[in-house]
Amino acid sequence: MSTTTGKAAQPAKVTAGPGASRSPAAGPGNHEGRRGRKKTSMGVQNAAGWLFSTPFLVIFTVFMAFPILATLLMSFTDFGLRNVTRPLDANFIGFENYVNLFGDERFLKSLFNTAYFVVIGVPLTIALGLVVAVLLNNGIDKARTFFRVGFYAPVVTTIVAVAVVWRFVLDPSDGLIAGVLSEVGLTSPDFLGSETLAMPSMIAMAVWRNVGTVMVLFIAGLQAIPTEVREAARLDGAGAWQEFRGITVPLLRPTLLYATVITTIGYLNVFEEPFVMTQGGPSDSTLTVSLNMYREGFNFFHMGYASAMAYVLFVVIMGITVLQLRLLKDNTK
Amino acid sequence: MSRTARTVSAGIAVALAFGITACGGSGGEDVAADKKQTLTVWAMGAEGEKLADVAKVYEKANPNITVKVTPVGWDVAHQKLVSAAAAGTMPDVAQMGGSYMGEFSELGVLEPVDARVFDKGDFFPAGWNQGEVDGTAYGVPWYVDTRVLYYRTDLAEKAGIAKAPANWQEMQDLATAYQKKAGTKWGLSIQPSGLDTVQNFYSFLYSAGGEIVNDKGEAVIDSPEAVKALKEYGSYFDKGLSNKSVQPGYDVVKDFGNGRVPMFFGGPWHVTLLNEGQPQIKGKWAVANVPADKASVSMAGGSSLVISKDSEHKAAATEFIKYLTDTKGQADWYERSKDLPANTAAWTSGTLADDAGLQVFKKQMDTAKSTPSLPKWTEITDKVDQAIAKVTQGKASAEDALDTAQSEIEGLVK
Repeated sequence: MSTTTGKAAQPAKVTAGPGASRSPAAGPGNHEGRRGRKKTSMGVQNAAGWLFSTPFLVIFTVFMAFPILATLLMSFTDFGLRNVTRPLDANFIGFENYVNLFGDERFLKSLFNTAYFVVIGVPLTIALGLVVAVLLNNGIDKARTFFRVGFYAPVVTTIVAVAVVWRFVLDPSDGLIAGVLSEVGLTSPDFLGSETLAMPSMIAMAVWRNVGTVMVLFIAGLQAIPTEVREAARLDGAGAWQEFRGITVPLLRPTLLYATVITTIGYLNVFEEPFVMTQGGPSDSTLTVSLNMYREGFNFFHMGYASAMAYVLFVVIMGITVLQLRLLKDNTK
Repeated sequence: MSRTARTVSAGIAVALAFGITACGGSGGEDVAADKKQTLTVWAMGAEGEKLADVAKVYEKANPNITVKVTPVGWDVAHQKLVSAAAAGTMPDVAQMGGSYMGEFSELGVLEPVDARVFDKGDFFPAGWNQGEVDGTAYGVPWYVDTRVLYYRTDLAEKAGIAKAPANWQEMQDLATAYQKKAGTKWGLSIQPSGLDTVQNFYSFLYSAGGEIVNDKGEAVIDSPEAVKALKEYGSYFDKGLSNKSVQPGYDVVKDFGNGRVPMFFGGPWHVTLLNEGQPQIKGKWAVANVPADKASVSMAGGSSLVISKDSEHKAAATEFIKYLTDTKGQADWYERSKDLPANTAAWTSGTLADDAGLQVFKKQMDTAKSTPSLPKWTEITDKVDQAIAKVTQGKASAEDALDTAQSEIEGLVK
């Protein structure tokens, strides 16, 4: 404890020096600080607080708040390539970008693709994550760490390495799946080259990559369930399935809610998988909203339009999140 | 995943912020060429690294000039240049890909080429045209590239064909023979879909006499010539001669080396890649001109050197570019980089004149076509990419796909 106090005191002194001349609030703190620590250090503490927050605040303003605001403004303009050097020449066009978006077949397709991705991908990720977590928590005793690491490894692997592996798995001529299928005399479908299979392949990849995150959340949730509750249930003669349904799932609800919300948000933003695997193809069948936004913005320089797209995506994400919080929370009561 | 959305908006905002500060850009008084000064130069990829050596030689001959070369990766080149343009911090001299010219002249950040110093007639027409926008030249061609047909001679022999395919029929026959008789996995490697698929399609389109946008700036991608070219392109996928599967970032060199892919359209850099990366097939492959339909016409690429409008060292920059693009400078550059000289006079001596493989490139370059410098070119070619994808995936006929592309492109050309 003594070291903590020491540390806290030091920066406060530092602040008082240069800070005093600039901000009047720090002034009195400086003088009284030596005599009555408890009462008077508020001003110093405030100044120190601001000082320590400054790096974050600066970064937040420059890289978060300002871009968010600028994007909103830009979404109401026709900001294009020529405005990169003459930004003030961009015309204010009201809601035209937003109106155009909903007449844009490509955007609607990307919206549909994203919805497809979320509707199939989220339940799969959550269900698999839960199953794996329960198995690891109850079943395997010896190789538990090994399996945890195994399932978590994809989460921390870079997408480029993942792409190499998955391209090998999915390659229709000499990939892993093709190899297995040819053993039994079947030919492999062309996963990434087919409009119907490309999206399911993306989903499979994403589920594989994200099950680990969800699993870790669930394992933490499972370990927080008191053993007495389980023991009580067993004494009452509950079987494994009854215990799972009656004890595990209800007590895991907060974790379930959290995992569902973050997975949904992540999947609504899905970009990397199609970007490295198919670049949205074939024929836009894996073009997601994020990828579409990237293209419009950086390939075609339709900055205004891309900004509008970003805001539509934002509204969609917010709407769905609020809805999920309501639905899942109400059920717990 | 959610990082992307943030990156996009941050990028936009940063561009905007820089843009605002750049408004009062300096008009730039020019420093005389013989004064002591520093030239800033941006060059991409491998060129960037090799140019620094040339700069040292140049500095020795011109002690008053210091040349500061910054290599920029190709993958970030476009964005860095756009940001620099927005911020008003363009280097004095920059290397620019042909496809960038339309955009950057639209941005108004390029200085027109001094016609008293550089002569159009010294360069390959396709090279010069790349730097020209609406009749004004903004870039001096530095090096050119074009696609020619790379094919495995040893496997062709095994398939019973002794000479290079000269026309479309012969190319398809050879592809079939490779697959049937020489046991290769594919016949020809061309891209089925994805970004820049059009680059593979150009040699078909141009050889048939088609274009995407004509000299008058009209969209003509639904012409009978274009339809014929796309049908031919699509037939390789129909017949299983080419791989329908999309593989972004696919590098054909390895598959050419192991014989799975016996033919592909490649640029001059593939010579080095094959010699260094696949030495086991040395002497077992050759290059040939693009098989002809009406004529043998390939696409032209390459890079130009541009001077920034805001530069205060235009005179010295012009001198430096002159040094890089004259006959001697170009021949020297070839020795260092193996980039093909844009200056035709450089081809008359040394390896460039004697090597048969190089002469294939020279011959192809004489007729090669460069893409029009339109600000929306990326968007236009994206429509063509989509049309090609529909055909190669068997979703539409060449006619229908190109009709759609035509109407979309009409909206993009003025």
